[in-house]
Amino acid sequence: MNIKKQFSEGLVTNNPVLVQQIGMCATMAITTSLFNGLGMGLSVLIILTCCNVVVSLIRKIIPEEIRLAIFVVVIAGFVTIVDLLLQAFIPALSAALGVFIPLIVVNCIIIGRAEAFCQKNTVGASFFDGVFQGLGYTVVLLIMSIVRELLGKGTFGGGLIDVSNGLRFTLDGSGAGIKIFSGEYGAKILTMPFGGFLTLGVLIAAMQYALKRSAKKKELAAKAEAEKKEVTE
Amino acid sequence: MNKILKLTVVLFLICAVVAAVLGGVNEVTKGPIETQQREKTETAYKAVLPNADSFTELDRSSYADLKTIDKISAADNGAGHVVETTFSGAQGSITMAVGVDENYRCAGISIIKHSETSGLGEVAASASARGESFRSSFIGKDESISINDIDAITGATITSKAVTGAVAASIEAVKALG
Repeated sequence: MNIKKQFSEGLVTNNPVLVQQIGMCATMAITTSLFNGLGMGLSVLIILTCCNVVVSLIRKIIPEEIRLAIFVVVIAGFVTIVDLLLQAFIPALSAALGVFIPLIVVNCIIIGRAEAFCQKNTVGASFFDGVFQGLGYTVVLLIMSIVRELLGKGTFGGGLIDVSNGLRFTLDGSGAGIKIFSGEYGAKILTMPFGGFLTLGVLIAAMQYALKRSAKKKELAAKAEAEKKEVTE
Repeated sequence: MNKILKLTVVLFLICAVVAAVLGGVNEVTKGPIETQQREKTETAYKAVLPNADSFTELDRSSYADLKTIDKISAADNGAGHVVETTFSGAQGSITMAVGVDENYRCAGISIIKHSETSGLGEVAASASARGESFRSSFIGKDESISINDIDAITGATITSKAVTGAVAASIEAVKALG
């Protein structure tokens, strides 16, 4: 078990959205304001962690042939529990996230991690995998929400921050956000699904570029090291 | 054969456990969710019919032939009715609550659900000043309302027309109740 490696994998080198490229549908659909991005990211983080733990707990009794069916039952169970609890005890958040919560059932990050990681690893490792993969997902959602909201509507922190009566945080999604420029001059296209494709495409390209560069650097460093050794010998 | 039996049993057991847990959670959350929903409807209805105190939903059979009307609730103090209606907007269907006072005039509208274009038709439902002025321009109008009587939204003629039509239909529906 290597927590540090899992951390960098979840956030960077094996980021669920930018590198594994799974769970992209919801990513593009909901990242229109910071509030939506953060709410969806945290919900996925919690459900992913719970599902990872349970799947790795029962990994030894799951027959190979029906593992997918069992994963789906476990995921749907947790999503329903979170949905019901939110509706009952944090209705404001539930109202704001309404459609996104049931959508998590079909989010392939969760079934993907169950299949690729939890059925082969211990409960502890699966727990951290859930947390870090969830964080990686949340970070991407936040970046996309900030970019799309700023360029599309000219605001920052929509739903989450309200500045009309001094700065305060609104947990019910009612805040209008900080106005950077008038919404009339925003690129409306970025707030629509098409803008989601654009933003995600640019982000993936940037990520691939950065990963390639760091891999090349490492290669060069290794080469230089080897040459140095040769010279000294 | 044995294998199939084993698979079935395992899957059944896991489903049974999940179902039992969900049943438990549902038992705990049923009460609070019901209260939340009732309160939410009451507040939404009061926003469109400010003079009302509490509401009673009318029997569907009294307006069964009106397909676009989802629900009609009468104010218990006789201040009027609130109509919930679903109709076609520019992008998809719009669900709206319309308050109709005792003189069959619109007392306020509130858009509950919609999928109108962001920045155009969406303004009709938004909390912005423009959205407020659009919605409040319906107050005091009767069933003969047309798009020229209201503060229609630029670039969203279809949405504005649809909302106007639905308000007129709602007032007519309440009038038909007698």
